[in-house]
Amino acid sequence: MTTAESSAAPTGRDLRIPFGLMLIALACVAPLFLGNYPLHAIIIALIFLLPAHGLNLLLGYTGLLSLAQAAFFGIGAYTSALLAVHFGTPFYVNFLAAGLVTGAIAAPLGIPALRLRATSFVMCTLGFVIIGQAIAKNWISLTRGDMGLAAIPKPYFALGPASFTVSGTVGFYYLVLVIAALATLAVYLIVRSPAGRNMIAIRENETLAESVGIPTWYYKLVVFMISAAFAGLGGSLYAHYLTVVSPLTFQMYYSTTMLIIVLGGGAGTISGVIFGSLLFVGLTEALRVAPELRMIAYGFFLLGLVFWFPSGFAPLIGRFWSFLEKRK
Amino acid sequence: MFYTIIEQVVNGIVSGSVYAIVAVGMTMIFGVLRAINFAHGEYYMLGTFGAWFAIEYFDLPYPVAIVIGVVATAVIAVVVGNFVMQRIVGAPAEAGVLATLGVALILQNTVILVFGGSYKFFSGGYIEPVTLFGFTLAEQRILIIIVGLIVFVGLELMVTYSRMGKAMRAVSQNIECCAVVGIDVRHIALWTFILGAGLAALSGVLTAPVNVSVYGGMGELITFKTLPIIIMGGLGNVRGTFVAAMILGIAESLVATYVGLQFRDTVGFATLMLVLMWRPHGLFSAQARF
Repeated sequence: MTTAESSAAPTGRDLRIPFGLMLIALACVAPLFLGNYPLHAIIIALIFLLPAHGLNLLLGYTGLLSLAQAAFFGIGAYTSALLAVHFGTPFYVNFLAAGLVTGAIAAPLGIPALRLRATSFVMCTLGFVIIGQAIAKNWISLTRGDMGLAAIPKPYFALGPASFTVSGTVGFYYLVLVIAALATLAVYLIVRSPAGRNMIAIRENETLAESVGIPTWYYKLVVFMISAAFAGLGGSLYAHYLTVVSPLTFQMYYSTTMLIIVLGGGAGTISGVIFGSLLFVGLTEALRVAPELRMIAYGFFLLGLVFWFPSGFAPLIGRFWSFLEKRK
Repeated sequence: MFYTIIEQVVNGIVSGSVYAIVAVGMTMIFGVLRAINFAHGEYYMLGTFGAWFAIEYFDLPYPVAIVIGVVATAVIAVVVGNFVMQRIVGAPAEAGVLATLGVALILQNTVILVFGGSYKFFSGGYIEPVTLFGFTLAEQRILIIIVGLIVFVGLELMVTYSRMGKAMRAVSQNIECCAVVGIDVRHIALWTFILGAGLAALSGVLTAPVNVSVYGGMGELITFKTLPIIIMGGLGNVRGTFVAAMILGIAESLVATYVGLQFRDTVGFATLMLVLMWRPHGLFSAQARF
């Protein structure tokens, strides 16, 4: 999993910066030449990027396989929706509250779960999703059960007397783009900090990391909370974008999707996860022939991914880079 | 009052037997392949669909339908085992999770594509009630308990005395050593997988008359019930799985009656978390495999 980052030669820097700038410029002007539907697809990809970044911190950098992202995604969506519907708070309040609440809920869940070893930990995190869905279905006085919460307002900002509402696909696209860029920056800073190095040390050999004085337990818990907070932020955006939440927000499907994005793109790389989220959306759009056929193709895609590209598609991109550089 | 409790406990033992037959296959697959089989419930569904197909289209009697359901599932398991499960041996944990999730998607949606997503009526089985010690019970439920006992005694004898069973136990204890002494690990993995899938199918066909309806998505729920059972029972531990399945069956039945039906499907994972907080390796030692 570590190969992707190192496979690009150091000389790649002069190629990477112009390419990155081009990508940013392209992202900024995308609404000018993209129709509403492709833009919608990209918005979904950018929303899913947040929980995927969280999972990447947990799985790609710390080495913990978690299926709980859907639970935190759902908690974030419900927190945001409940605040918006009951108190009419502006978007940034809901958004930040979703992240904080989800991160806070992750602490008491993570303390028992992180004591478990590999398989048991996976199952325990899967349990969060099942139980979250049951709560969303049965706490009817708060969540309205299966009917879900509808008419969640589009994001609006209120600063003093001035306020404006983000309506329409283009406006939402820019909002999500900015948030996704900030989230990517945050992940980059975490990963490049000494804390990020310690996380990688835990992934590579937890016992060794512990013995050289890294407080592994503390790190794992904090990373678990951060990854949950990222999922909560994504859930908040999702709720405000679709303007409805229902118990279906707690679905194994979302956990699987996050796993595909991270493992498909290349766990342990930031660019891989960004690529993974776009790839996933491209894939689901390309397979939009019939729902059953789509899921069958999805299944075959998963098998292909596991057996032919066990470290995701990012190494392929790395190879492509070095190929470009050699030709220069 | 007392009568209701006993009745619910008996119902719990019936569903516990069903879970036990499904879960024992999954726990053996974990023991040998070191992978959680997220597609396990799909084999339960395939068995049920095979039997439903035999009854609906060929008008075969229920006992024949049982055989057809199990054999059809075993044939599919041979294919999946050859192309997917054998490759998981020795792969990292994520590979097992993703590959079996992929298999689950393929099997489930192929069945929905072929037979449609609607609920189907399962007409076979023995639904005549009989009275035993003052309790009224459908014949099918008694059959489930008896088959459950036969399966467990049979498995116990198989893994203790037969050559294949001994090899399975050996592989579940140490793959490398088995490879060194010349045991064909992939061969053992394939047969364990076929056995596990066949047991899941058997359990599906046995339960179908009790559940009455059959639909393509039914496997997912079974997978989610089986996962906590095998963890609670200690991964790869056959006897532990049996006890955990009974505990879950009875707990679900009591929760459904006294707390509310809608909470039944969360009992498994809720119990699992409580158990794991107290004993991180499950109720029974993971060392005592098979």
